[in-house]
Amino acid sequence: MIMSFSLPLVKMQSLHKSYADGAIQVLKGIDIEMKPGERVVVIGPSGGGKSTLLRVMMGLEKIDSGSVTFDGKPYISSGSSESKTVIDMSVRRSIGMVFQHYTLFPHLNVLQNLILAPCKVRGEAKSKAQDRAQTLLERFGLGAKAKAYPAQLSGGQKQRVAIARALMLDPKLMLFDEVTSALDPELVGEVEQVILQLAAQNMPMMIVTHDMWFARNIASRVIFCAGGVVVEDGPPEQVLGSPKEERTKEFIDRVFHINQ
Amino acid sequence: MELDFSILSKFQYALLLGLWTTLKLTVICIVLGCALGFAVGLARTSRNIVLRALSSAYVEFFRGTPVLVQLFWIFFCLPLMLGVELSNFTSGVVALTLYMGAITSETFRASLKSIGPEQFDACVALGLPRNVQVVNVVLPQAVLRAIPTLLSNCVSLFKESALVSAVGMADLMFVGQNISNNTARPVEVLSVVALIYFVIAFPLTRAVSVIEARILGKLAI
Ligand SMILES: Nc1ncnc2c1ncn2[C@@H]1O[C@H](COP(=O)(O)OP(=O)(O)OP(=O)(O)O)[C@@H](O)[C@H]1O
Ligand SMILES: [Mg+2]
Repeated sequence: MIMSFSLPLVKMQSLHKSYADGAIQVLKGIDIEMKPGERVVVIGPSGGGKSTLLRVMMGLEKIDSGSVTFDGKPYISSGSSESKTVIDMSVRRSIGMVFQHYTLFPHLNVLQNLILAPCKVRGEAKSKAQDRAQTLLERFGLGAKAKAYPAQLSGGQKQRVAIARALMLDPKLMLFDEVTSALDPELVGEVEQVILQLAAQNMPMMIVTHDMWFARNIASRVIFCAGGVVVEDGPPEQVLGSPKEERTKEFIDRVFHINQ
Repeated sequence: MELDFSILSKFQYALLLGLWTTLKLTVICIVLGCALGFAVGLARTSRNIVLRALSSAYVEFFRGTPVLVQLFWIFFCLPLMLGVELSNFTSGVVALTLYMGAITSETFRASLKSIGPEQFDACVALGLPRNVQVVNVVLPQAVLRAIPTLLSNCVSLFKESALVSAVGMADLMFVGQNISNNTARPVEVLSVVALIYFVIAFPLTRAVSVIEARILGKLAI
């Protein structure tokens, strides 16, 4: 615990990101420090740069300037010359991400989806990876689906498989980008339960969601992000319950209004 | 007029030999043509502009000219330009492989393009190295998606292969034509030849829709 106090898990410094050669500024200086065990929920209006932030963290997008350290180690930095983004691949392997649209490999069955990366990236023995995969699937209530293909699963099942697939690599941080937004309402719960299960095991995570009930239940901290900057940052009771900033208040009022 | 199919029994063996040549030619050109087509398909989606230009020129040229002209060109002009004698069979293989490569490259290109960017996101998020991405994610999906169209391409090749009779290759068509000339029984002979082509091609065309439904249903890709 002393360690965790002194060392942030993630430290983003002055992240800038634009698209179309600088024509579209998406991240305009993001500074976020995340402690181990924290569960950060990022909320904000559409187009505010939430997905971009997670994609940068996953190394899927290059940055214009700024830096990220992970576990005290330099992870992402913009090199001095011409926005060359340097990403430490060994660090990136300790981050897992789940997307809105499942992104399972359609030609592989559930078990094969789960063991592909462990076998090919880490050189894990197939039988060992299969055992771990089966255990994980049972834990998520998918034990009987190991041989099914993604097309034979419901959206909620697919998303749980996607989470299990990311967990196979023992990530130290999980990123969830609106993982329930594409689901039918009655399937949202089963996916959120799985993420809550992970939360109960102290998995550090960064979650983008529009589901305020879920945000309140899972967050240890909420960040309101709009126009490419962090507008408000604090405990869920404060940011969701009694926001200080006018823009946060407006957004929360609107979202709760829609939710009702 | 009277039809007498019994005369064909005398030529059974010759017809089978012709069919054998047709099948051999088709199968060889399917294998070589698909390999060529996949490579060209990759080249056409490549970031390298030279590769893209060369491969596009090849495909457009072969799709934009009659197969018969291509065949004549390779039979008569290529040996002149290379200064070597090519056997009938070799010339036939070269010509039909180039034709098959051009049409299957379009098939592969479409299937490669239909793999969405989110598949690549998933690969990156799982830390899959480039070679694993290509071999385990891109290639199998591209091939699976391409299978129904590839089968149609194969059926086309099988039928187009009859053109090699025009340059004197003793395939099914050539044998049939000879028999019909010698016996002066074109109706019987050519009908049977058509029937042989049909009996082989028809199940394949039917298989296309069955396989398509299965792949699409099971994998939804
Ligand atoms: N590849 C891209 N090229 C150009 N512009 C992009 C690209 N990706 C995102 N953008 C733009 O960047 C901005 C931020 O997008 P982002 O997806 O990060 O927002 P978001 O907060 O996740 O929104 P949402 O709640 O709708 O998911 C948007 O204006 C979007 O149009
Ligand atoms: Mg988004």
